[in-house]
Amino acid sequence: MLLFQAFLISIFCYLGALSTPWLFGLTGGWYTLSRPLVSGLIIGIIVGDVTRGIIIGVAVQAVYIALVTPGGQMPADLNFVAYPAIALAVLSNASTGVAVTLATTIGVIGTIVFNLFQVGNSFWNHRAATAIEEGNERSFHVNTVWGPQIFNFLLRFIPSFLVIYFGAGFAKTMLNSMPKYILDVMTFLGGALPALGIVMLLTVVIKKNYMWAFFLFGFVAIVFLKLNMIALTMVAVMVAIIFYFAISNGNSSKGSTNGTDNSSDSGEDEEEF
Amino acid sequence: MDNQTKLLDKKTIHKSYVRWMMFNLVATSYEFLEAFGFAYAMEPVLKKLYEPDSPEYKEALKRHAIFFNTEPQLGALITGITVGLEEQHASGNQEIDGDFISSLKVGLMGPIAGIGDSMIPGMLIPILLSIGMGLAGGGSVLGPLFYIVAYNLIAILGSRYLFYKGYELGTASVDLFVGDVAKKVTQAITVLGTIVTGGVAASYVNVPVNIKIQMAHTSLDIQKILDGIFPSLVPLLVVFVSWYFMAKKHVSPIKLIVAYFIIAFVCYGIGYGIMAL
Repeated sequence: MLLFQAFLISIFCYLGALSTPWLFGLTGGWYTLSRPLVSGLIIGIIVGDVTRGIIIGVAVQAVYIALVTPGGQMPADLNFVAYPAIALAVLSNASTGVAVTLATTIGVIGTIVFNLFQVGNSFWNHRAATAIEEGNERSFHVNTVWGPQIFNFLLRFIPSFLVIYFGAGFAKTMLNSMPKYILDVMTFLGGALPALGIVMLLTVVIKKNYMWAFFLFGFVAIVFLKLNMIALTMVAVMVAIIFYFAISNGNSSKGSTNGTDNSSDSGEDEEEF
Repeated sequence: MDNQTKLLDKKTIHKSYVRWMMFNLVATSYEFLEAFGFAYAMEPVLKKLYEPDSPEYKEALKRHAIFFNTEPQLGALITGITVGLEEQHASGNQEIDGDFISSLKVGLMGPIAGIGDSMIPGMLIPILLSIGMGLAGGGSVLGPLFYIVAYNLIAILGSRYLFYKGYELGTASVDLFVGDVAKKVTQAITVLGTIVTGGVAASYVNVPVNIKIQMAHTSLDIQKILDGIFPSLVPLLVVFVSWYFMAKKHVSPIKLIVAYFIIAFVCYGIGYGIMAL
């Protein structure tokens, strides 16, 4: 049973990898299957405990809510977080706090595999370049699609399968015999680590200090006004619309006098707001 | 651009779009990144435009097998523009030569990557995920299903629109993203995203202060006192301090993860130490 589950989960692990083309590229793979929210559902279905899968998926997702990977630089390998790590947590009955800490650790280790893939592909790339030079279409396809994808499959499937198949029992025994001190720390970290996901997102969105006001608005709306996420999103849409008209009006009055220089205009507007 | 010759049929153009969307990252290395994905997407188009095995064909394919890197979904725009330019180049437009096409690609990939990374994984995905996470409360399948459907619809329809706009309008289509209106829409969406992020922080960051001070007859529970003043004040401070180190001091996320681990182990160590006394 575990053999079959580990096999299926590892297939999904490959399908959700960053470079896997089969589900409309990174759209259906990396940005869909490799989101812990989605992988929690899939792993839940495979191991027969959907509720548990999703609850752990949501907890882990909070850490990786905004993982931007410019130029393939990765702070964490979300694919290994989404599949072997969450599978391990679900199979070993870990609490959400322990699951998050476990997943974060595996995510950092997983970046090694991602770097290996990127470095290894130089080999295929040079062969593909030679194939184009020689006008060899078949070789171009083999070295662009099939070679790198077989390589990708091996790098994703094998570690995932080994971790799930041999790790599940081990993780369960380990969690049961773990000193309370370590479990407490892991549970604590599970609550604190989502802060890092949020901070990664904030480094992208907060370019001007006044943006903190909007962040605090959202924070306070949950903590004091007790809105849920859907209500908050609706309020946020309305605030964004008001903001849009506020900055548009500011510009049109000025636009009539100083014409085309829009970049400096909008810069001034931001500070005035 | 109205009187340009159309050499490509719909099927070929669509094939190029599908190939780009599927294979953009197929063989990424640090050296070439999306180069061969791009060349692979251009192959059906170039085959239509030139005799296979002709020197022109080989030269055109080589032109696209060079370093390229952008956000692939928003980058469908660049692929669309390039298909249009290759068509014009092949139909004998003197102004558009190979160097022009290459330098245009290089010129566009940076800005599109910047906008794409901050708008898609930086904004759209976090907003959809936080709604999905809200809907997934108690383990409901509604959450993940909402995210899967919403994201894929937006990304597929959006990239398709961009690709065809790029093909039809050529370089003029870039104004859609760098124009004044686009800039303001981006700012407004950033406001939306920032508010939602605040909500996510309040919902999912949890830093309990388990300090209880025993006094003669009562005990002082620090967490309870904090909750009375400002619930989740400590998580807010943790976010702010981490942001300061990451954004202002350029500490990498991995170093911060390690710092969290060390702080947690040390603090709990001290706590357990005191309890043991």
